[in-house]
Amino acid sequence: MTALGEFALWIALPISFWGMVMGFVGGKQGRGDLILSGERSVYLVFALLAIASLAITNAFLTDQFQYQYVAGYSNRNLDTYFKLSGLWAGQRGSLVFWAVLLAFFASVTVFQNRNKNREFMPYVVGVLQGILAFFLVVLLFAGVNPFEQLGFMPADGQGLNPQLQNYWMTIHPPVLYLGFTAYAIPFAFAMAALMNGRTDSRWIVVTRRWTLVSWFFLTNGIIFGMRWAYEELGWGGYWFWDPVENASLLPWLTATAFLHSIMIQENRGMLKVWNMSLVLLTFLLTIFATFLTRSGLIESVHSFAQNTSIAFIFLAFMGSIFVASVVLIVYRLPGLRSENQIHSFLSREAAFLFNNLVLLGAAFAVLWGTIFPLVSEAFTGQAISVGPPFFNRVNIPIGLILLALTGIGPVIAWRRATRRNLKRNFAIPLAMGAVVVGIFLALGARNGYALTTFGLSAFVLTVIATEFWKGTKARARIEGEGFGPALVHLVGRNRRRWGGYIVHVGTVLIFTAFAGRAFEVEVRKVMNPGETVTVASPFGHTYTLAYEGISSSVEENFDRWVALLSVQRNDQAVGSLTTERRFYRVNRQMVTEVGIRSTALEDLYVILADVEDFEGMVGNDPDAQRIVVQVMVNPLVGWIWYGGVILTIGSLIALWPSAEARRRSAALEPAMAGGS
Amino acid sequence: MVIVWAILLVGISVFLILQPIISGQEAPLWSAGEEPSEAQFKKRVSLLQLRDAEYEFAMGKLGEEDYQILRKEISGEALKAIRAEEAEVAGGAPGAYAESNAEIEEEIAQVRLQLSGGVFCSECGHPNPGGSRFCAECGTPLQVPQPSGQS
Repeated sequence: MTALGEFALWIALPISFWGMVMGFVGGKQGRGDLILSGERSVYLVFALLAIASLAITNAFLTDQFQYQYVAGYSNRNLDTYFKLSGLWAGQRGSLVFWAVLLAFFASVTVFQNRNKNREFMPYVVGVLQGILAFFLVVLLFAGVNPFEQLGFMPADGQGLNPQLQNYWMTIHPPVLYLGFTAYAIPFAFAMAALMNGRTDSRWIVVTRRWTLVSWFFLTNGIIFGMRWAYEELGWGGYWFWDPVENASLLPWLTATAFLHSIMIQENRGMLKVWNMSLVLLTFLLTIFATFLTRSGLIESVHSFAQNTSIAFIFLAFMGSIFVASVVLIVYRLPGLRSENQIHSFLSREAAFLFNNLVLLGAAFAVLWGTIFPLVSEAFTGQAISVGPPFFNRVNIPIGLILLALTGIGPVIAWRRATRRNLKRNFAIPLAMGAVVVGIFLALGARNGYALTTFGLSAFVLTVIATEFWKGTKARARIEGEGFGPALVHLVGRNRRRWGGYIVHVGTVLIFTAFAGRAFEVEVRKVMNPGETVTVASPFGHTYTLAYEGISSSVEENFDRWVALLSVQRNDQAVGSLTTERRFYRVNRQMVTEVGIRSTALEDLYVILADVEDFEGMVGNDPDAQRIVVQVMVNPLVGWIWYGGVILTIGSLIALWPSAEARRRSAALEPAMAGGS
Repeated sequence: MVIVWAILLVGISVFLILQPIISGQEAPLWSAGEEPSEAQFKKRVSLLQLRDAEYEFAMGKLGEEDYQILRKEISGEALKAIRAEEAEVAGGAPGAYAESNAEIEEEIAQVRLQLSGGVFCSECGHPNPGGSRFCAECGTPLQVPQPSGQS
């Protein structure tokens, strides 16, 4: 079974090349037989990559350590759960995983468009097969073949990095990869539009749903990653501006810009070159993210890869895509001319454009900070990395501008807005913002950034609430409906808009959570059993934690020491928390498992920073129970996850097909079946 | 055993990709379904924009002045798109796409009707918002009734 996987890769490579050539030639010459052959090749490559993926998973499940990849990321006692995720645990498997997801989306696209958008499809097939062919070449010729054998059968594997042995880690990479790969579809349609000359809005209409799908997965992938960092890395935070984190943020920033700027192209026929460039840039950044995560090019706190030679192959691929796309854009420039101009700085399109520039500014700053170690090494011979202070200094103000725009955009009219109108629409939201800032000032908050965030959040939420309220009221009056049905119909009539507003609410919650970090409290204490530590929450109450004792046990894969602490909130017992140290024997690595007590407003976060005497503890020495505990109160941190849920709901509303689209596709089916 | 499977895979793959070329089976070059042309799409976008503008005016979000400018511009664009559409599809069936356009148009008319002081053109039946002196559709002077108070 596993050997068949490698054969499948070797068969897939020529077929993807074949499909690429058939697509381009068939499209150019208008040959339906070649196009059909190309489209079939997409399904075939997907089937073959699926066989390869199953083969790798099978090798993990059956402990086939003669394969270098399996031996490097698994061991006999590893949980089945983590063996199943072996496919994306390391660089080699990840590349197969990336390719199979892309092939899946490509197959869905070919199937969906078997009767639609035909003039795009040959080129879409050509582009997608070209990308797949690249990944297959990397897999088979760049020394990262996941089926490479060691030549002997080791007794056991080296085990999976303990920090990856967390359930968020089984879900975070696949979701992020879904986001990366789904973005190849808008890219392929954009390139197809440039090749067949249909540079009007059609490609945008066809791909906006794919863009939103990709954005949805990217966003959730990033949030899951934050959750993993929060639970597993054990330092109380969720974002470290680490290169790998930045790599996933970069395409998110440009994809967010694209989601907004396509609305200007749809409504005003503007920014066509800009949108083409954004698609190209975002696609390149998804490739960049894939290779940065899995190449080890830049040292990272969680860079789990080692082979750097493929980095240069990736760079060459990105370079050729870039050159080819720019040439195509320049060639089609006459068809990409703008149909309108921005009349006024006070207009929704100007706000959108500003949002785009700010997002791109953020992307540039993050990219620069991420590759700075490489740049400095090239020029000075010394790799200097810029830390979180740089990223925070640049990105906090940018984030605040974006937050403000989230509130301003919906209220400004398209084309041009009069000052009087702005005054009328902004008065109440601004007042709400000011009131919230006033309340926090009165409560003693003095952090400027946090105050600004809270004020802007109140402003944005008021704007959105007013939109919903006024819209529902108007609809109820015009259609003579009750408020409930009016709200449902209002949202249903323009899902993208109202879904988008709900996404904004989620974003506001997440921003508020970021600001909450300004009020973190942290205490570190050496403790013996029976001793207590007290920490004051910024919300006014205090937590008292009493150290009850520590126990040790030997598990299948690791030794563990579990400290038990009972928790009192304002002298009232509210339960207990455990925090652990684990020693993974196969990896010879010690990790911390934090204890978290979450409430709507804050998390109590306990880290077992040190155990003084591990050996004595195992021997039940009563004097060996001294530990070092780090206790943190993280205000509002839960709002990131709540915000994520709201954001998901909003995205799903925007993604849900409109009643009209459903009716139209239903109307289409019998018409085609009847051959009329 | 694996070799047998591998040969089978190669066989199936080669058959599937060569069969269309040998037998002449073709994928459609043009779309069978109804896809809006660029002009139809523009018309649709204009109508949706118009609907939004009407709503925003009805919501009190858009001031009178902004609303009038917006409406005039969008109507002009819609008209341009409609003419382009007429020129482009000579004899093409209107189909489902046109049907849903009619639905939006109806909705727009309804919003307009409800706008306070709305008045219908005596010539073309076009609903005009309160305060209009001339019909936005055909330019006929309107018999303005006394506005019902709120603006």
